[in-house]
Amino acid sequence: MTHTDHNDNSMFRITLNLTLAAFLSGVIIAVVFYLTAPIAEIQRIKMKEQSMKELIPEATSFSPIQGKEEWFKAEKDGQLLAYLILASEKGFDGHVKMFVGATPDQKVIGFKVLSHKETPGLGDQAFKPKFADQFTGKGYQQLELVKIQEEGKITAVTGATITSRAVTNGIKHALVELEKYLNESK
Amino acid sequence: MNLWKEFTKGLIAENPIFRLALSLCPALAVTSNVYNALGMGLTVMFVITCNNISVSTFRNVIHPKVRVPVYIISIATIVTVAMLVLEAFLPVLFKELGIYLSLVVVFAIILARAEVFAAKNKVIPAMVDGLGMGAGFTLGMVTIGGIREIIGNGSFFGYQLLGSWYHPPLIVILAPGGFIVIGFIIGAMNLSEKRKKEKMEKTAAAGGNI
Repeated sequence: MTHTDHNDNSMFRITLNLTLAAFLSGVIIAVVFYLTAPIAEIQRIKMKEQSMKELIPEATSFSPIQGKEEWFKAEKDGQLLAYLILASEKGFDGHVKMFVGATPDQKVIGFKVLSHKETPGLGDQAFKPKFADQFTGKGYQQLELVKIQEEGKITAVTGATITSRAVTNGIKHALVELEKYLNESK
Repeated sequence: MNLWKEFTKGLIAENPIFRLALSLCPALAVTSNVYNALGMGLTVMFVITCNNISVSTFRNVIHPKVRVPVYIISIATIVTVAMLVLEAFLPVLFKELGIYLSLVVVFAIILARAEVFAAKNKVIPAMVDGLGMGAGFTLGMVTIGGIREIIGNGSFFGYQLLGSWYHPPLIVILAPGGFIVIGFIIGAMNLSEKRKKEKMEKTAAAGGNI
């Protein structure tokens, strides 16, 4: 170290040193944030739209539903194709956040996970087609999770029962909410 | 030539995970498959190199009494900037690494290299040291990740290697598997080093007899 100054250990110099470091860091982060924040916002919207598009590829427009947060109507030429509902359900580690797609007569089209913290290579098997395809075309009354394969029921992923349950319950709740909403608005 | 030595020492001789035994936490948590392990390794390589450059550049200005907080500020700034840039330009990768990124700030290996190496050396060697240590860390992560993914899931880098007849032992993918795999690798490295040493002693003794 090249500090040979007599006043080198004064409280003032130490404080100044730390303050300057923190200030410099603050300025750098602020500048980077100022530059990247608008781009990140665009990306976020794009990613959300993309996951909606993947669920309902035929739809041409997605319009938010009044009074419901993160609910969308998927439409094509003014005709209602599907409802998209944001569901959040407690999984093995934190919440699994996903879009649930449902037909106007409240049958599952599919789901798309937006964020999760499940065990990689194990829990996330429950987001892959092998498990996910079981939901297609089912109403909420038919969403029952079993561990050993049974006709007409949802078979859980081996070793990932909790994640399977989270997905099943998330979809179930979304459909129940949807029915409530549709009955109210009738 | 000297710079090359600074680079290669991080790969095996001073491998951060297996030899220095620093940053075992990510080596356990983020190595259940190769993809995550590689992503984490490259992230750490980037942060460690940037931080070594930054610490080495300012090494004569930083007051020794507050050096550790200043290093941490420097690491935190680099990680935050990396997160912001990733979020804006590579949102898919950001989503994958999201929860681990903020943990990078407290990885022991990064602070250790700042304190042990960057604070005492010029910018170029510090940068090379960071690259080498980062590469060694990545190598370690990918090794552990590869073993765990092949045994625990029957696949490598997401490609299914073993057929449906293979029933993978789940424990390898869960946390205990990480401990076991790291333990075996360190054990194997120690054993090979011991063998090498014995061999050298033997040849030295033989040379003495003649």
